[in-house]
Amino acid sequence: MAFSNTMYDSVYYHYSPSYRFSVGIEALSDKYTDQQYAYWRSTFLLNRKNTQHSQRNIYLQAGIGTQGLDHHFVGVHGDWETRRWFSGFGVKQVKTNTTDYTEKFLQVGVAPYLGQYGDLHTWLMLKSKKDSRLEGWSTYPVLKFFKGNLLLEVGYDREIQWDSHIMYRF
Amino acid sequence: MQSKLTLVIFILFVFGKSASAETEHVHNQHNHDTTATPSVAVATERYEGFVKDLKDSKVAVVNVIGMVCDFCARGIEKTFNKDEFVRKVDVDLANGQVLIAYSADKLINQEEISELILANGQNVTGIEIIKI
Repeated sequence: MAFSNTMYDSVYYHYSPSYRFSVGIEALSDKYTDQQYAYWRSTFLLNRKNTQHSQRNIYLQAGIGTQGLDHHFVGVHGDWETRRWFSGFGVKQVKTNTTDYTEKFLQVGVAPYLGQYGDLHTWLMLKSKKDSRLEGWSTYPVLKFFKGNLLLEVGYDREIQWDSHIMYRF
Repeated sequence: MQSKLTLVIFILFVFGKSASAETEHVHNQHNHDTTATPSVAVATERYEGFVKDLKDSKVAVVNVIGMVCDFCARGIEKTFNKDEFVRKVDVDLANGQVLIAYSADKLINQEEISELILANGQNVTGIEIIKI
């Protein structure tokens, strides 16, 4: 998995021994503090509800920086989706050696068409994001595509520039 | 804008149709012994395409809930393809079905299928085995 936005670039490799739990390492280039560091990360599926046409998930996440225990984060994020609609949220509290901050986001989306298994799937989304180190919320459009084991998500906002996410499932 | 988005997401989370199935075993599961003719629920266009070139096989038609995303269902295909008796696997997102074609000599364990689907995070609500 790789992320890139105005605050950082990162590459995250994780392994899931079960669908409830994953562990991994994220190498991060922090553009705000101009530092490079890594996190040992873990994500835990707190709750999932499956129905015929929907799935809802709530996850807890935590990470410990390779710089020491006082460099860490905790967070919660969740989503609810059908084949047509998507909604998600996330809150992440980060403590570093130099600053503490909070990241929040809300996201909603709609699939303009319902692809079959194996097709290219497309989502039109709206994301609203707030980093406590910056002023105000940024709301911007996001396009999400996936096909097979590859997922690509790209958003653009005039202030925060590109917000992208790429994931490959091995 | 943020308050509206928050409200929309809150409503979806609270009132979304998500009351029935935690990711645990589903107890009202409907399993069927091997039959030669698929039931009406199974005989979809996708099923017909799946079995078109098959012979001397058994097809497990597995009804699954929570399978709303292609990307999330990838693990199902990978898991079943590890079984040497499996000839092919297909996922029917529209009908919430997983189609697994086994060679005819495979002794199909329906409980094992349910557990493998659960290990991917979805729930099985019924299994029908059809002899081709």
